[in-house]
Amino acid sequence: MARRYDSRTTIFSPEGRLYQIEYAMEAISHAGTVLGVLAKDGVVIAAEKKVTGKLLDMSGAREGGYGGSGEKIFLLNSNVVAGVAGITADANSLINFARQAAQRHLLTYDEDIPVELLAQRLCDLKQGYTQYGGLRPFGVSLLYAGYDPHYHFQLYHSDPSGNYSGWKATCIGANNGTAQSLLKQEYKEDMSVEDAYNSGDEKLEFSTLTLGPNKQPKAKIYKPAEIDALLQKHGLGKKDEDAEMASA
Amino acid sequence: MAILFQVEYALEAVRKGTCAVGVRGKDVVVLGVEKKSVLQLQDPRTVRKVVMLDDHVCLAFAGLTADGRVLIDKARIECQSHRLTVEDPVTIEYITRHIAGIQQKYTQSGGVRPFGISTLIVGFDPHDTRPRLYQTEPSGIYSSWKANAIGRSSKTVREFLEKNHKDDMSRDDAIKLTVKSLLEVVQTGAKNIEISVMESYGKITSLDLSQIEAIVSEIEREKEAEAERKRSRLAATAAGQAAMTQVVSGTGEGSGQ
Amino acid sequence: MDISFALTGKGYVIVAADTTAARSIIKMKVDEDKIKVISPHLLMAYSGEPGDTVQFAEYVERNLRLYQIRNTHPLRPSSAASWIRGALASSLRSRKPYSVNLLVGGYDTSTYTPHLYWIDYLGTMTSVPFAAHGYGSYFALSLLDRYHDPEASLEEGLATLRRCLDEVAKRLVVSPEKYKVRVVDKDGVREIEL
Repeated sequence: MARRYDSRTTIFSPEGRLYQIEYAMEAISHAGTVLGVLAKDGVVIAAEKKVTGKLLDMSGAREGGYGGSGEKIFLLNSNVVAGVAGITADANSLINFARQAAQRHLLTYDEDIPVELLAQRLCDLKQGYTQYGGLRPFGVSLLYAGYDPHYHFQLYHSDPSGNYSGWKATCIGANNGTAQSLLKQEYKEDMSVEDAYNSGDEKLEFSTLTLGPNKQPKAKIYKPAEIDALLQKHGLGKKDEDAEMASA
Repeated sequence: MAILFQVEYALEAVRKGTCAVGVRGKDVVVLGVEKKSVLQLQDPRTVRKVVMLDDHVCLAFAGLTADGRVLIDKARIECQSHRLTVEDPVTIEYITRHIAGIQQKYTQSGGVRPFGISTLIVGFDPHDTRPRLYQTEPSGIYSSWKANAIGRSSKTVREFLEKNHKDDMSRDDAIKLTVKSLLEVVQTGAKNIEISVMESYGKITSLDLSQIEAIVSEIEREKEAEAERKRSRLAATAAGQAAMTQVVSGTGEGSGQ
Repeated sequence: MDISFALTGKGYVIVAADTTAARSIIKMKVDEDKIKVISPHLLMAYSGEPGDTVQFAEYVERNLRLYQIRNTHPLRPSSAASWIRGALASSLRSRKPYSVNLLVGGYDTSTYTPHLYWIDYLGTMTSVPFAAHGYGSYFALSLLDRYHDPEASLEEGLATLRRCLDEVAKRLVVSPEKYKVRVVDKDGVREIEL
């Protein structure tokens, strides 16, 4: 009886709640933290890696992989980078969908997909899984850092219910409450990407989206060695396990 | 069993949503919504509670935002599709019926849950000067109203509207009534209220914060004055009574009882 | 029989189309508007199979309007033109293709630049400084080659257009008597009386 209203995603509880979504959000609040900060000349995403181990082969990530830093940061399109928190397998499938949506837009309109539209596409899919479709919603929250000519640099957040909103700086995953209030204190209007670097506290995966010399968006997902260099540069080079392994 | 009650439970989701009010005047229709405080680092542009479906149709919803977005998208497609097939813009009743129809479908098919939203739809029909206001519910019911509210505390607001709505209100009166009724549930005042006004076919304006603040302070002044009047009236009756008892006690024992 | 011209200048695009609706050798109407204003900063001159043209133009109009309502901002001219081209290309591969030729002109409000696209019923699209469809193109393209200036003011642009129309009036056996002229710039679309 107790499982009456939470065994299927398509069921409202008597209080009008959707338990499956709440469980998904709960799961995400234990996932590795992902931070996003909007600056005047770019957007930064930083993520804390959770899956580590001495024997894990990170040679793919060292090369940057194809558009991904390994676990949490992915290139969705030439103008959008995303950070994910939650169930990795769900995230992979969402990222694949997002990349396809972006390419479909490119094919139809001969332009990079506007950032909000890409977020919307993903949210429509996520919403679908809370109303019909599969057994459970996607257990993934995403941060999207992107650029388009309409609203320039943007940062969006979407959650398993299919809600999304735009932010100047935000955070998902474990300890997001603490990080959020930290960001609130530290955030300044019109800061630069260089300043924004300092806002990340768990710099283990890292990416920026800025404009290149040709005024086109340029995404950069840092390789482990580059992250180390970055940490050193900003005097935060505490040698933790991950960094050691990455530079080994 | 659980399935049968789903529509009831969806209404619970609506009751958790922010409040929205619609008021019809003589030749104007006003939509007011309670706006959740935008968080400090959030981009207010991306938080939308009142949306356009077409040049002449406006919609506000209460309930699950993601459901709202999906339903709105379907309605927008229908608006353009209708124009393409019959060359005319949709009437407000038509699009309301369409939206209610979609909502109804999701109460009856297997493997889906109903939309957790109620909507208020306002606008003017093409070649017509009568303002329209409709409501839809998760069950797929739709109805036309002179004034109505959905979402959090909508019952209180509806009762307030029932008491205070008059036919053929002017633009200013309709706006004032909308704000006033929202203030019944919104304690934080103007900054959490959003007002859109449609005055004729396709002519829609949303009030900015200073305008809403002006209306709120006007309402507060009126309330103050009303309270003042009440106080003085009370004081007057109290004084009268006091005088009476004095007179009574002055006339001797026994007669005062 | 339809004739249409378009040319860009400094911050604007001029689009002109004749206003004759003909069937076989008979003029049915001389005030037909063959330019569709699709959005505040986008317009499209259409020519080709009568019926197809209007049908297709309305289809385009409604779809691009839907995009604007869904996304609060309209498609930029280059993206709109790409979508239109795609629509024609998929139509060409259907059972009953649209036979429509287009000149799509627009002003990009995010980069402050005018854009003009020449599109035909086969789904060919090119971005061009000036363009023409129909018999007019035989007379006008050489003139436009000689006189077009991307930095020209609106008056100069209109003067160049007038040269083209005059040449058509002078040389073409079945020249139309009237044209509708529209211009799009940062302030949007407006009609111009020549």
